[in-house]
Amino acid sequence: MHAVVAIKQVPDTSNVRIDPETGTLIREGVPAIVNPYDIHAVEAAVQLKERLGGGQVTVITMGPPKAAEALLECVEQGADRAILISDRKFGGADTLATSYVLAHTIEAINAELPVDIIFFGKQAIDGDTAQVGPGVATRLNIPLITYAVAIEEFDLAARRAVVHRRVEQGIEVLETTLPVLLTVEKEIAPVRHAPLPRLIAAARYQPETWTATSPVLFDPQQIGLKGSPTVVGKAYTPPPRSGGDVLSVADLGLDAVVARAMAVIGQAHVRDLQPVTGVVS
Amino acid sequence: MTDRLTFDAIVVGAGPAGVAAALTMAHGGLNVIIIERGRFAGAKNLFGGVFYTHALADVLPDYWERKPPFERPVTEQGYWMLSPDSAIRVMHKSERYLKEPADAYTVLRARFDPWFAEQAVAAGALLITRTTVTRLLKDERGRVIGVDTDRPDGCVYAPVVIIAEGVNNLLTQQAGLIASDLPPKYVALAVKEYINLPAKELQTRFGLSGPREGVAIDVFGDVTLGLPGTGFIYTDQSGISIGVGMLLDEFVTHRLRPYEVLERFKNHPVVRPYLEGGEVREYGAHLIPEMGYDRMPKLASDGVMVAGDAAGMVDALHREGTNLAITAGKMAGETALAAHQAGDFSAAFLSRYRRSLEASFVLKDMKQYRRMTDFLESSPQFMGTYVNLLNEAALRYFTAHGIPKRTMEHDILKMVRERRSFTGVAWDMLKLMRAMRG
Repeated sequence: MHAVVAIKQVPDTSNVRIDPETGTLIREGVPAIVNPYDIHAVEAAVQLKERLGGGQVTVITMGPPKAAEALLECVEQGADRAILISDRKFGGADTLATSYVLAHTIEAINAELPVDIIFFGKQAIDGDTAQVGPGVATRLNIPLITYAVAIEEFDLAARRAVVHRRVEQGIEVLETTLPVLLTVEKEIAPVRHAPLPRLIAAARYQPETWTATSPVLFDPQQIGLKGSPTVVGKAYTPPPRSGGDVLSVADLGLDAVVARAMAVIGQAHVRDLQPVTGVVS
Repeated sequence: MTDRLTFDAIVVGAGPAGVAAALTMAHGGLNVIIIERGRFAGAKNLFGGVFYTHALADVLPDYWERKPPFERPVTEQGYWMLSPDSAIRVMHKSERYLKEPADAYTVLRARFDPWFAEQAVAAGALLITRTTVTRLLKDERGRVIGVDTDRPDGCVYAPVVIIAEGVNNLLTQQAGLIASDLPPKYVALAVKEYINLPAKELQTRFGLSGPREGVAIDVFGDVTLGLPGTGFIYTDQSGISIGVGMLLDEFVTHRLRPYEVLERFKNHPVVRPYLEGGEVREYGAHLIPEMGYDRMPKLASDGVMVAGDAAGMVDALHREGTNLAITAGKMAGETALAAHQAGDFSAAFLSRYRRSLEASFVLKDMKQYRRMTDFLESSPQFMGTYVNLLNEAALRYFTAHGIPKRTMEHDILKMVRERRSFTGVAWDMLKLMRAMRG
């Protein structure tokens, strides 16, 4: 079994602040972490490998040299190989360019050792687009299952798997052929406390670095700013919401409260609402 | 047990003591692992203060070329003695502070420690973070042979363990080097804020001509409500470290809330203008062991040594600690190297460590000021009465009221007599001299 996990290093958004003047992220002094969903993706891959009694987990990321830290954390969690795709030429990539780079990388990895399953976190907490995983599946022309929460069956010989997927109404159980690409929820696998020998292995591990030209050649038209048609018009901090009115039934009586509420709703141009008067326990 | 994790030495804690030990041993060719519980070296640290370079130069002679993340050289330093509305300020400034590298720098340890740890890693030490050492492993004869951690498969073995775990010295206790937790009488609690200010503004306020000048101020008197303890104000690159340290005991006895003491200090009329408009970026508190020479743990036993805060290596009077820790770490490292050469890790052999420290400033200074904590606690008039007296006297001295000078001098002396008798003053001075001479 060969699993590839694509991860992203993100600023710890519990610490993120926006510069009120420029409207941009203040990145200075903000600790970088592995995108929380991605670390569960790594764990899912490692647990799948353990379940099947062997295999290889390869972790990849595109990012600045500092992103190597994030890869090492994945090695601690049990990844066998880590590749950092890093080159100034990749800078400024949107989800289209990123999905090209990752898909092209996975194709190259697949040529060395065929890939059976690809994991992504469901989305990154800094961009929240949830586009790159599906983009890569489309480029590779393989089945895509988003919001995966469990792998019920995984049969390498029969080239099939059964995966549970979270949807609004509940859980979908899907059967797929391999290779497949999953974007995962945190439930797919709880993150375990990495054993000390893994930490030591990671401290001694040196991730591979792939550039825009070596060991594989990326199409310069499709990477970085050049390959990114997305334009960010403006980023701003919305004004804080003011508190709502509190209408006390005890003071005003039920009818008066309902009437006031209906008047406010009417002003907000909400139509076709009939008041339902009744006792609220 | 065939593939158990074995190193030549284990260091617990990636603070200055631990990293200095690891660096020394790695330079000597030993295979060293440092185990740190924080997310990175320095993560558990709060220190924003004065760092003396002499100890660092001993461990890392080319430290300056390696670009340590210092804040500002200390080119002016001294004392502020606060009464509730005034201050006597005794500052020393000299051109001789302007050399590079300087003797002392202000440092934020959350920046310095990762750099220092990197130097140990570059020398070949293995740094493992986010891992807490939970207990010492001992053989059937009670000799320390390794440590266990909070990680699965978390045991590591080595013939020598250097404990540099900091003020919460649980392992030092487990090693049998110290009997119990420190009593609150001998632990100080420091609360501190880092206040961001643009470098230019900071320089104007403190009268600095540029980034290569900085101020370190120790503050006494009203800052601690006249109780034993000190406040401090240090200039960083573009910010101020400001805080108060007092014995835990005093907070408890006088029912003081640490943050309220600090707020009070920040709002003192003499202090406030320096901070105005600054943005508080960090707030925290940390314990400082002030157990003094007589209550220090045993420094070594079979297969184990202890250095830094865990061993109480702090000279509170001179706000030193980091340099003591680095020197002690280096000496522990050297002792471990010698032990490897001799193949002897017994308590008897490792007692060399203590002898090296005794020959150095570390234990000499600690010995000299062994009575200081007790002295200050038993003589609260130094931080209270005297400081207020001095401020009152200064006010009289510097203002003209149309009163003859002779009358003013009498008034001042009368004030002294009323608040503390002349024999009381003489007695205090004698006690102070004794405490200073050790």
